[in-house]
Amino acid sequence: MSSTAAVAIGSAHTEHHELGFMRTYVFSEDHKMIARQFLFLALFMMAIGGLMAMLMRLDLAWPDTQFSFLRIFPQSIQNDSAITAATYNSAFTMHATIMIFFVVMPILVGCFGNFLIPLMIGARDMAFPKLNMLSFWVGAVAGVIMLSSFFVPGGPAAAGWTSYAPLSAVPIYTGVDWGQNLWCISIIVLGVSSLMGSINYITTIINMRTKGMYFFRMPLVIWALFITAILLLLALPVLTTALALLLFDRMGGTHFFLPAGGGEPILWQHLFWFFGHPEVYIMILPAMGIASEVIATFSRKPIFGYRSMVYAICAIAGLSWMVWGHHMFQSGMDPELGTSFMLSTMVIAVPSAIKTFNWLGTLYKGDIHYTTAMLNALSFVAMFVIGGLSGIFMACTPVDMYIHDTYFIVAHIHYVLFGGSLFGIFAGVTYWFPKMFGRMMNEKLGKLHFWITFVAFNCTFFPMHILGMGGHMRRIYNPTQYDFLKPLAPINMFISISAFVLGTAQFIFLANIIWSCFKGERASENPWHANTLEWSAPSPPGHGNWPGPVPAVYRGPYEYSSPESEADYLPQWQVAEHATAAAD
Amino acid sequence: MATAKIRPLMALPRRSVASGDETERRFISNGMLAVLMLIGTEMMLFSALIGSFIIFRMQAAFWPPPTQPRLPIAVTWINTGVLLASAVTMALAVRAVHQSRQRLLRRWIGVTGLLGVVFLAVQGSEWVRLVAQGLTLASGNYGATFYLLIGLHGLHVSAGVVWLVCVAAAAMRGRYNVRNASAVELCAVYWFFVCAIWPVLFGLVYLL
Amino acid sequence: MLEKMLEFMYFPHDVSTFGPQIDWLFTLIFWIVVVTWIAVSITMVVFLVKYRTKPGRKAEYIEGDTRLEVIWTSATAVIMIILALMSRSTWADIKENGPAGQVFYNVTAKQFNWEITYPGPDGKLGTKDDLTIENEMHVPVNQVVRIDLASKDVIHSFFVPNLRLKQDAVPGRVIKVWFEATEIGTYAIPCAELCGFGHSGMQGTLTVESEADFQKWLKDQYANANQ
Ligand code: HEA
Ligand code: HEA
Ligand code: CUA
Ligand SMILES: [Cu+2]
Repeated sequence: MSSTAAVAIGSAHTEHHELGFMRTYVFSEDHKMIARQFLFLALFMMAIGGLMAMLMRLDLAWPDTQFSFLRIFPQSIQNDSAITAATYNSAFTMHATIMIFFVVMPILVGCFGNFLIPLMIGARDMAFPKLNMLSFWVGAVAGVIMLSSFFVPGGPAAAGWTSYAPLSAVPIYTGVDWGQNLWCISIIVLGVSSLMGSINYITTIINMRTKGMYFFRMPLVIWALFITAILLLLALPVLTTALALLLFDRMGGTHFFLPAGGGEPILWQHLFWFFGHPEVYIMILPAMGIASEVIATFSRKPIFGYRSMVYAICAIAGLSWMVWGHHMFQSGMDPELGTSFMLSTMVIAVPSAIKTFNWLGTLYKGDIHYTTAMLNALSFVAMFVIGGLSGIFMACTPVDMYIHDTYFIVAHIHYVLFGGSLFGIFAGVTYWFPKMFGRMMNEKLGKLHFWITFVAFNCTFFPMHILGMGGHMRRIYNPTQYDFLKPLAPINMFISISAFVLGTAQFIFLANIIWSCFKGERASENPWHANTLEWSAPSPPGHGNWPGPVPAVYRGPYEYSSPESEADYLPQWQVAEHATAAAD
Repeated sequence: MATAKIRPLMALPRRSVASGDETERRFISNGMLAVLMLIGTEMMLFSALIGSFIIFRMQAAFWPPPTQPRLPIAVTWINTGVLLASAVTMALAVRAVHQSRQRLLRRWIGVTGLLGVVFLAVQGSEWVRLVAQGLTLASGNYGATFYLLIGLHGLHVSAGVVWLVCVAAAAMRGRYNVRNASAVELCAVYWFFVCAIWPVLFGLVYLL
Repeated sequence: MLEKMLEFMYFPHDVSTFGPQIDWLFTLIFWIVVVTWIAVSITMVVFLVKYRTKPGRKAEYIEGDTRLEVIWTSATAVIMIILALMSRSTWADIKENGPAGQVFYNVTAKQFNWEITYPGPDGKLGTKDDLTIENEMHVPVNQVVRIDLASKDVIHSFFVPNLRLKQDAVPGRVIKVWFEATEIGTYAIPCAELCGFGHSGMQGTLTVESEADFQKWLKDQYANANQ
């Protein structure tokens, strides 16, 4: 049914039926508009998540200090112009929740998934455009619910983004009542949104590929999004179950996680991490895909080992179901189980190694162009390697006994999530901006943003490894309460100052987006001389994506510097110069 | 009529796949894919709950706790029969639509929906009785897991009944025939899922 | 040498019997990781400089190299699996087996204190003369201490950085923990798992002292309690 609709859209393109403002910008069913909506929602949320981080850093550098400017914030964030133990707990809980569920996921999956899938596989829109619209609006409602928890009595959730029961299951343990309920509800609602998105992505990729777009001719970012959607589809319901049980404990009088009534606190951790570990790969796979596109394009070379890259994505996804216990080594789980989780966790480094070395192989004998997108993609690789390697320490059970719940983990989190996912996002936004908005992003501002971010990021998060080795626990608002942490105070101060620089630098990115939207140089159809299908559509593509028929595909996505062509690229949609090649 | 070929029940509805000239060949319709994925998610949802149930069950010293009322096994056996019968009638409805037999289709859809309602009604009345006897959400994990698992399934049956009503309404207007059967088939696949998961729950929660 | 390096990296001074094994594994992984990282970084930087775009040069069309890929995949796999196997026995020593205990305590966490229960003069836990003291744990040096760890409300985590020891205290469970302190001194016992608004600042002190001092301290405590 939808495919006929899609064809209809294509032919209707010339008639140009006017949709009103509401249908074009608000309740749009166009995948490109929905992608932009996700992007702006996420940028807005990023400002809030980042603000929480800035407050945390302020407090960690000057604990228990009053700052009169904090007065502008609601009572749930500050108390008498100071950040207290309770508001600090809310701050990191909301920081992580917002960054993970409302920044990284909406951009990587919501924005890039929506924008790229139809354009890169040659479809006129998603398989279910209405469902797609609904997916965004349900997600937006989830965001509103989450933000509203800043304004309820007791403040927002304060049990960490992992919300370990029974701390999260009984209001008096944290002093937070409705904040935690809203947190659960918001994430359940967001799960529904993601579910609708995933169904759309998978259906579209399986069924709506253009002629010649075989699975093994799909760009790696599409592969990554495909596998990510499958992970989401299977992981989210487990989180939903856990959240529902938690809500029943809080509001329905049950005792699922309360030992007093025969409940089992560790069960929450098993359910949460069974979701949680696939979740962290949900947040890295699309970024890996983006990096692959950008690196191939700007090295003017085919991706090294395309097929093994695909298999590595699948292997990471498959293994991600078997490692959740590495978050629970010290939880009281059977130590022998810990040993098997250690083994599976070590094994998951192997597909990541394949990806890393293949990116390096792609650079080898390339013709490397240093655009902003490329710089961000390269730093994705470099930072992901650091984050991944720090994961090895934690995978080793005895070592994890010492560094678990210290800043070593916090360093890991940010190297993979900021250094990985966020640099991937920066690369992706810069790379596809011309297609999304029809204008180029400013390279000067882009490079300025990149270099400040790159340096400040490392200054902020690398020293956290040292804090962790010093035994600095996470989730404490005042390290000066501990004698053995006193020597580390200067490091905390240094981190905080770097973090402020890092936070401020993000305004450059924001400014660049806004400036380029209106004043950027107009983009041609294929400004990067790239091969993949989206670059055959106008910039920005109109309704139905291609004014004429959908182009067919004749070859793989990475035929750069191919001996078959004069130019250093050979787009997927270009009919072969020798007619025989088309038969392949 | 006699020439109408009877398709196997779960055959993927090839005919409803528009293999337009803009896409690669398809093996399955968008709708069917979506429903299968929905079922995949639901399976994970139920698995997580069933897993939790098994953990509580194994840790409890007494199951059911001596002070709690027993679950109504006899009635539920009958109710299980009702639900399984509805799967058969649903299959008959699909067969009817493949033969473009409108009256038959309406009848079997109607019967399926009715059986679903009967199932829900019996479950509901049993719940009322159990609550009166003191089995509640708050009375311990025995009650809580029971209401959650069985309640979640009940929600699915209810959703299925609503879907059946929609299909029935369209069937009344004669919308479906052998060429346009996918809406019935999608509903059927979902209904089969709802029926198939029940014996698992019945076995785990009532019998074991 | 190892000790110097760790100290340089702010590791708290190690005073437990299993600490050296953990530190050794940490250092092993550290070197594996540093070597890998340097190799990757140098390769990357060299490629980035050497193959930067130059007018008139085209990239070489290379689609992959199966032999190379097999090599680095299996090399990584071998390193990782060996590492896992090497870590196994240390883990088993610390969390599964461990030596027989000489001193026995109950430690019960609650928001936001550690309750340490010493066996009374009868030397047995679970009797009437048990003595419970908040946040102060005294142990004799060079003796195996065995703890039954529990919690009254939420999950806490018993962390002694100098012992490299960490174990969550979970309500509804009793978890066995052991350690043997090798040096006299006082050390912090922070709580490492978020447990509410008092999580930051929840800490006890571990005093490791000679057998004689320990016995004397115990006697004083019993005397105080019976007043
Ligand atoms: C994008 C997100 C992301 C990614 C990709 C990863 C990737 C990995 N993570 Fe991470 N992790 C998180 C996000 C992520 N993690 C978060 C958010 C937490 C904290 C949650 C919380 O408690 O709040 C966490 C916590 C966490 C823990 C729990 C720590 C604790 O609480 O005590 C562990 C333990 O094993 C772990 C391990 C790993 C491993 C082994 C990988 C591997 O996949 C990494 C593999 C990559 C490499 C190894 C680098 C490249 C490879 C090479 C260059 C080849 C050569 C390498 C060798 C020879 C070693 N992670
Ligand atoms: C994607 C994930 C992500 C990202 C990007 C970040 C970014 C940052 N994080 Fe976060 N962090 C986590 C995920 C993330 N974090 C997680 C999962 C935890 C664990 C939480 C827990 O324990 O439960 C954590 C915990 C955590 C801690 C530990 C808290 C503790 O345990 O006590 C700290 C401490 O310094 C910290 C700091 C920072 C800083 C300084 C940044 C900076 O990089 C932030 C810089 C960014 C900004 C300041 C935003 C600026 C944006 C704009 C200006 C755009 C404006 C746009 C509009 C206005 C439309 N984080
Ligand atoms: Cu107790 Cu943290
Ligand atoms: Cu993990």
